[in-house]
Amino acid sequence: MEQVGSQLNQPTVPLRAALSARRRFSRARVFSWIVVALIALAMAAVPQVTTRSDVLNLLFLIFLFIVLGQSWNILAGFAGQVSLGHAALFGLGALTTRTLWFGGVPFPLAFAASGLVPAVCASLIGIPTFRLRGAYFSIGTLAIAEVLRITIANTLPLVSFLPVDMLATYELAPRYYLALALALATMLATYLLFRSRYGLGILAIREDEDAAQATGVRALPHKLAALVISSFFAGLAGSTYAFYQVSYYPEAPFHAGWTFDALLITFVGGVGTLIGPVLGAIFYIFVRERLAVTLVSLHPLIFGILFILIVLIFPGGLVDIGTRLRRAWNTRRASHSESRSAGK
Amino acid sequence: MTLIIQNLVFGLFVGSIYGIAAVGLALVFGVMKMLNIAHGELLMIGGYVSFWLFHLAGVDPFLSLLISAPLLFGLGVVLHQVLYRHIARFETEQKIKNSMLVSFGLVLILQNLAQQMWTADERSIQTAYSGVGADVLGVALPYTRMANLGLALLVVIGLHLFLSRTYLGKAIRATADEWESAILVGVNIRQTFLITFGLSASLAAIAGALVVVGYGLSPSIGLAWTLKALVVVVLAGTGSVFGVVPAGLLLGLGEAVSGIIAGPAYREVFGLLIFVAILVVRPQGLFGRA
Amino acid sequence: MLEVKSVNASYGDFQALWDVSLVVNAGEIVVLIGPNGAGKTTLMRTIVGLHRPSAGNVVLDGHSTARLDGCELVERGVALVPEGRKLFGGMSVLENLEMGAYTARARQARAQTLAWVWQVFPVLAERRRQIASTLSGGMQQMLAIGRALMSLPRLLLLDEPSLGLAPLIVQNIFDVVNLVNRKGVAVLLVEQNARAALEIAQRAYVMERGRIAGQGTGAELLSDPNVRRAYLGYISTGKNLAEGT
Repeated sequence: MEQVGSQLNQPTVPLRAALSARRRFSRARVFSWIVVALIALAMAAVPQVTTRSDVLNLLFLIFLFIVLGQSWNILAGFAGQVSLGHAALFGLGALTTRTLWFGGVPFPLAFAASGLVPAVCASLIGIPTFRLRGAYFSIGTLAIAEVLRITIANTLPLVSFLPVDMLATYELAPRYYLALALALATMLATYLLFRSRYGLGILAIREDEDAAQATGVRALPHKLAALVISSFFAGLAGSTYAFYQVSYYPEAPFHAGWTFDALLITFVGGVGTLIGPVLGAIFYIFVRERLAVTLVSLHPLIFGILFILIVLIFPGGLVDIGTRLRRAWNTRRASHSESRSAGK
Repeated sequence: MTLIIQNLVFGLFVGSIYGIAAVGLALVFGVMKMLNIAHGELLMIGGYVSFWLFHLAGVDPFLSLLISAPLLFGLGVVLHQVLYRHIARFETEQKIKNSMLVSFGLVLILQNLAQQMWTADERSIQTAYSGVGADVLGVALPYTRMANLGLALLVVIGLHLFLSRTYLGKAIRATADEWESAILVGVNIRQTFLITFGLSASLAAIAGALVVVGYGLSPSIGLAWTLKALVVVVLAGTGSVFGVVPAGLLLGLGEAVSGIIAGPAYREVFGLLIFVAILVVRPQGLFGRA
Repeated sequence: MLEVKSVNASYGDFQALWDVSLVVNAGEIVVLIGPNGAGKTTLMRTIVGLHRPSAGNVVLDGHSTARLDGCELVERGVALVPEGRKLFGGMSVLENLEMGAYTARARQARAQTLAWVWQVFPVLAERRRQIASTLSGGMQQMLAIGRALMSLPRLLLLDEPSLGLAPLIVQNIFDVVNLVNRKGVAVLLVEQNARAALEIAQRAYVMERGRIAGQGTGAELLSDPNVRRAYLGYISTGKNLAEGT
């Protein structure tokens, strides 16, 4: 009887996972706040110290990809809905910005609209597509994104240039600060979301949708919330891209490659963790930009192999490899000091 | 009028390739419950094998199938042993998701390798009989395209006979239906998986050869073909292999019709929209039996 | 011929079998009864190699089966009629039976065995071209048993063959089990229908919460007051065997 009883008294799996996720967020809170503030300050100081455009461009890309990865992670990692249509949201953000901004709307307004448009579109499309589960959701969203890309390529076939007057006043620093601020805002929003009750509900859906529904967590509103927030930040990332890039085909930000980048970054860093997309973005951009210089373009090959290894062997990504190493180090040190004290 | 019929006929011809591309994907999905996003990349590699055999040794692309299909079978076996084998232990839903992720990684690898080895140039094969064809009431029927259609029908009949008449084929179907019972009657399902995956890669090789004869081949065509194959599998609905080729023809026709109505640029959009619509109406999945 | 020796088995954190031991001798009918969730199905799946024990051993004819693949046990004469039948739903009745004779040993005798199965279940013969998933529940159960017989088993395991079937068909299935047993096939039968099962059993085991809670001959258990109360419906207090003893 004890056996059965003790089994039943254990919290159910999704709840337990949600609780440990919550603990994961709160444990190192104070220390990490200080570290985050220091890093943010240091990053903010970079344009004051140097005007080297290669440094600023590299950091800009890292910030942009943190937002891209984290916004995907909100939906795929935390809510468990592996969307392959993320590029559509990024593209919509870019399109909204260029349309409004070039049409005379001040950039800050265009920027805000670029978050809202994808969020609204995504919630409209989300209601039918959330009927799909697992991989069906993935390929369904991929198909929708491709429809959008092809349509944009056909209706807007010409390259979109920054107008001459804007080009004349083009400066890298404002782009840099926008991306930095957006990256910080995305991180903060993700952090706050998954500390909240609502965020716990989203995590519960990821663990077991049916079980969560049975305990009163309604799946659709929670999934929609994750989708809307994810879309909002993806759209803002697209807007930042449209603000930064001098010229591109309007179709380019809709390309599935952006989705794949978000996927790689998040998985390599650690899917479903707060810090994963940050590590992933740093690693990804660094390797990609370095290799582009020295080794032609082998980075898809390297990331393909890395990605498969992570899915099959280290599903927790860099974050998990880090914790495992730290744990191994700690136990080794503990046993080492133990044996030394035993020796005395 | 003639132009419209011509369009429809060409739609039918390209639809036969969609059919073959989809049969391989459907086989792996039905039997192994895995979604191989890299199927289009296998098709692409098969196409390159045919291309180089023609280009370097003058082998006729339809004959080169005798080399490229076994070669891709071997590649399929290797990929299965190195990658997909490790996913077999998961629960069905996890299996589909993980196979999708792993094959996504494979897409990056194969695409990049193809680019490194064969450059990003678009290739195609021009045989001596390439432009030649019959003419029926002003509608051109090129021999190569008719051969595509004929080959597609041959392949699906052959596959059907294999699956319904041989013990091995029946073991594959039994594994698709109820893999635990397959073990209970003595089927070595690991072997079944291996053969299924190899077979799927060979079918991709056949489709690839047809693509390089009639259409264009480049390292980046994989995703588009995987999507086409997925659309066809969803259109076909049930697990029957026989349903897949008619569904492929249907997609080809539908694309031709939408090309006539909305302009050729929107051909692809038609299939994808149908795909999403069917998925939303039948969310239980590609092979859901009610 | 079959010995289950101190087997433990788990699903993740949940341990389903605790130190389970059981013997089936050649030519016997052994029955396993117990409430839902007692671990009977897990035990059956462990015996045929669909589930790996975390401790202990399944021994067949004096050899451990730990190193054997699930599909190799059929070759050695063990066949399971699984819970819920698990037919090849998209295949015809005939194809299901042909798949039953998949192993090299059974394939040689396929024609004779098939003739015998048609004789045992004449209704299946009438519907040999019908797709299995469209059969009625009773006929599906017959087909599941027929499929197992096609492998020429020396030990036949049946997991709840009477579940959800009409009394007449249940009787028919029990008759077939007896018939098969008289041809020299040992039988291990898991049943909810404890009375009918114990009547044809030489020996029986009672399983509760993953453990063997009692054993005896069929007649002994039929007259055991605790078994009568818990499984034969004499007093419906809902008390179970362990609390009674």
